[in-house]
Amino acid sequence: MTRRNSSGGLSDQAISRRSFLGSTLATTAVLTAADMTVLDALQSPAMAEELKRKDKRVIVFWLAGGASQLETWDPKPGRPTGGPYRAIQTNVPGIQISELMPKMSQRLQHTSIIRSLNTKIGDHGGGATLMHLGRRDESALKLPDLGAMIAREMGQIDSAVPDYVAFYTATEGRGGGTGQSGFLGARYAPMFLTTESKPADLSLPPGIGEIDHQTRADLRQLLSNRFSEGRKSSSLGSHNEAYARVRGLMSSEQLFDISGEPQSIRDQYGPTLFGEQTLVARRLIEAGTPFVKVSRAWWDSHGQNFETHLELVTELDHVMSGLLDDLEQRGLLDNTLVITMSEFGRTPNINASLGRDHFASAWSVSLTGCGIKGGSVYGKSDEDGQTVADGEIGAAQVFATIFHALGIDHEKEYYVGVRPVPLTDPGTEPLKEVIA
Amino acid sequence: MRLLLPISASVLFCLSAVSVAEAEDEDAPAPANVEIHEVVDRYVDEQLKAAAITPALQADDANLLRRTMLDLVGRAPTSAEATAFMASDETGKREFTVDRLIASSSFARHQANELNTMLMQGGSGDLLKYLGPATAENRPWNKMFRDLLAADPESGADQFLKSRVKDLDRLANDTSVIFFGVNVSCAQCHDHPLVTEWTQSHFFGMKSFFSRTFENGDFLGERDYGLVKFQTTEGEEQVAPLMFLTGTVLEEPESSEPTDEQKKEEKKQLEELKKNKQPPPAPSFSRREQLASVALEEDENIYFSRSIVNRIWYRLFGRGLVAPVDQMHPENPASHPELLAWLARDLVEHDYDLQRLIRGLVLSNAYSRSSRWDGDDSPSPELFAVAMVRPLTPAQYATSLRIASMNPSWFPEELTGEEFEKRIEQVENSARGFARMIEQPSEDFQVSVTEALLFNNNQRITSEFLRDAGDSLVGKLKTIEDPKQVVDIAVRNVFARPASDDEARVLVEYLSQYKENRLIAAQQLVWALMTTNEVRFNY
Repeated sequence: MTRRNSSGGLSDQAISRRSFLGSTLATTAVLTAADMTVLDALQSPAMAEELKRKDKRVIVFWLAGGASQLETWDPKPGRPTGGPYRAIQTNVPGIQISELMPKMSQRLQHTSIIRSLNTKIGDHGGGATLMHLGRRDESALKLPDLGAMIAREMGQIDSAVPDYVAFYTATEGRGGGTGQSGFLGARYAPMFLTTESKPADLSLPPGIGEIDHQTRADLRQLLSNRFSEGRKSSSLGSHNEAYARVRGLMSSEQLFDISGEPQSIRDQYGPTLFGEQTLVARRLIEAGTPFVKVSRAWWDSHGQNFETHLELVTELDHVMSGLLDDLEQRGLLDNTLVITMSEFGRTPNINASLGRDHFASAWSVSLTGCGIKGGSVYGKSDEDGQTVADGEIGAAQVFATIFHALGIDHEKEYYVGVRPVPLTDPGTEPLKEVIA
Repeated sequence: MRLLLPISASVLFCLSAVSVAEAEDEDAPAPANVEIHEVVDRYVDEQLKAAAITPALQADDANLLRRTMLDLVGRAPTSAEATAFMASDETGKREFTVDRLIASSSFARHQANELNTMLMQGGSGDLLKYLGPATAENRPWNKMFRDLLAADPESGADQFLKSRVKDLDRLANDTSVIFFGVNVSCAQCHDHPLVTEWTQSHFFGMKSFFSRTFENGDFLGERDYGLVKFQTTEGEEQVAPLMFLTGTVLEEPESSEPTDEQKKEEKKQLEELKKNKQPPPAPSFSRREQLASVALEEDENIYFSRSIVNRIWYRLFGRGLVAPVDQMHPENPASHPELLAWLARDLVEHDYDLQRLIRGLVLSNAYSRSSRWDGDDSPSPELFAVAMVRPLTPAQYATSLRIASMNPSWFPEELTGEEFEKRIEQVENSARGFARMIEQPSEDFQVSVTEALLFNNNQRITSEFLRDAGDSLVGKLKTIEDPKQVVDIAVRNVFARPASDDEARVLVEYLSQYKENRLIAAQQLVWALMTTNEVRFNY
């Protein structure tokens, strides 16, 4: 098969082909379903506020299996439940964290630690669903997860970058609400990377050149626009919109390729898959992706908890501090919220296999950067970490706090038919002490 | 055995609301012996007139055939079928075609697929083993309902319960939603905030019908004991009544919790049965059977009969007479209440014959309107003044794409009867793999960018639909020199209609850019046609 136009440079013929379609397309502009977020923004008196939040970003470190709060954010040195690791003083007076996080201990001025989660659900599926949805799952209503809600609130309709990317290469804890757009629809579903660090179908298929790929898309659009005339349907509109985003998304392919990053930056994130995916996450949010989740699995340390955490927390410490430094250097930290969370924490009691089991009664998450009051601790577990001693909260308050930190009204309602569904369950308040 | 016992004032209100609606139905003048499509048009036209709206014109032949075939046999027409239908000047060709399609084996297969989607709601497993024979013999809907609740493992009917038995809340709610059009999930934690009739007792009542059902190895069993308890919003613990959605409470034999000793014995027995791959013993009183009976009784079957009518209507019109389909309650009246009541009554009187219902609906003028609205403001959708544009299901889309991508000579006009059906079935089967890559549409479906990327860049699109081979459209087009002919054949094959003059002009002009390579020209053209929204939707 002889191929033409596949090498760079526009031939005269290609140019004429483009102008042929260009002129035809210009006369058949068609109204597609408008993005509701844009409409909301235009109707709101606080329009400037609404538009400003558009450049806020979120990176979630999802520690699948359940990271131990005792070996990370809430150590209990010297107690029977404390385990072998010490606590170290951080750069914020009065706050100590596990000695497995020496790098984070020197960067705590941007981070708020929440030590008082009691989320009640102690199985992986249920816990993961809760911490992704911010509320109990419902059998009859498919709810959107955090990423989908943030993509819906902050994504741009014609964005050239994906607005929700989820890395989930390990098999542990996948599924169970860990990437669902629910009633918000497939438009806000994550680009879900399970096998490779690059999404599928972003590059040209073999056997077709750039120009041919473009002209057939133009012809498709011409025909589709003609068909749409006089036919009003938001599904129909979404079909045209999805195709219109293809070229932009294809140009985002290079965001998934870190080979061009300087070695010093790559070292900062480390050579592990987790580190590399986090570097991709930084590239994505820098280019405008509002929400990226990077999952790191195998935290479920029913046996050998301390070896497991030595390895995993050390890696987390390196990757997270590398990310924070990089974001700060680029001036992105003020606009980027970095979150660590799991389906639950781990039992203070150490079992016979020197493991810690599932524990949802008093565990920790961390919020860093955008909109967060750094160098603070919210809530308290008791001296052995068995119960919440002060400031007990659930998943809903964490979600409300996240929304608030990003400038999103956590009480905003979506409508599913006639039923209003607020972003967080009614009556939930954000944690004022955590917000800057 | 049964006891009518309204348990609260709100339930009383619920019952009276239903009976008021019934009384109105009796005043409705549409007699029972009229054709379904005439009744549909009568009521729909009445409202259009009241709203002073002139509906869209009837769709043209090609459009109507494509819509009808997608709805009845799950695929777009072949080029030859479209040409033949358009060429025919036989009177009654529409009715004749509808009857021919309904009699075909593809109709039964498509019904099985559609019912499977409706019943399984994306859950694991499928009911096709059961639904295949059931739809082939046009089994009455009430009989299917009984079969699914009886859950016979031989027939495969047990999959409905089996896929949900681990989550009884879901089983109770799915059953209410699917068979009765009632979503009681809100009432799980509190009385329904919008619908005063729906209380926690409605949710937990439904749950009670399933609470004794359990899984033992490969089999389902049902116990003779066990009560559902719940906390009211006031924190009070209550035992759920065995109550149907209408508020009717069923009487049942007294049951007592077994002793620990008895439980141990039961467990041992069940383990033994599991090991021997045998079903648990049948209960002496089956709560599930009670549900099947009460829901179908004459005074109780309003939810059951109206819900299936509404769901079939939704499938064919893109919007239910009650919308959304799981919100059938007094606060959310039907757009055409008399029509819904008439259709439901007609269904019951004709032994829950879904074929008859489907046939009647697709023969109405309301069904066959154009989907194009030329005026300024399109009329409110519940008037059914203009046909809705509906996304195809994965099976419809994949099969239609497959047919569109094949050399038209693969389906010659002279190929008919069983021979033709066989070939169609082959195509359906070969389309299954691709169908799995497409998302099942829900209400207010949005096409994902993943799908657009797939069609743009996945190797599979080229290998499945743009192949250069003797049996493919691309292979055929490549051999043709005259671009006008290329366009004519391609458009007929992919759109199942002839190209309009200006379309043909634009496409021929496009092809002129590829004069020196007819294969590329054909691939470019076929790709652009196949990925349009015209192919993606039932319009």
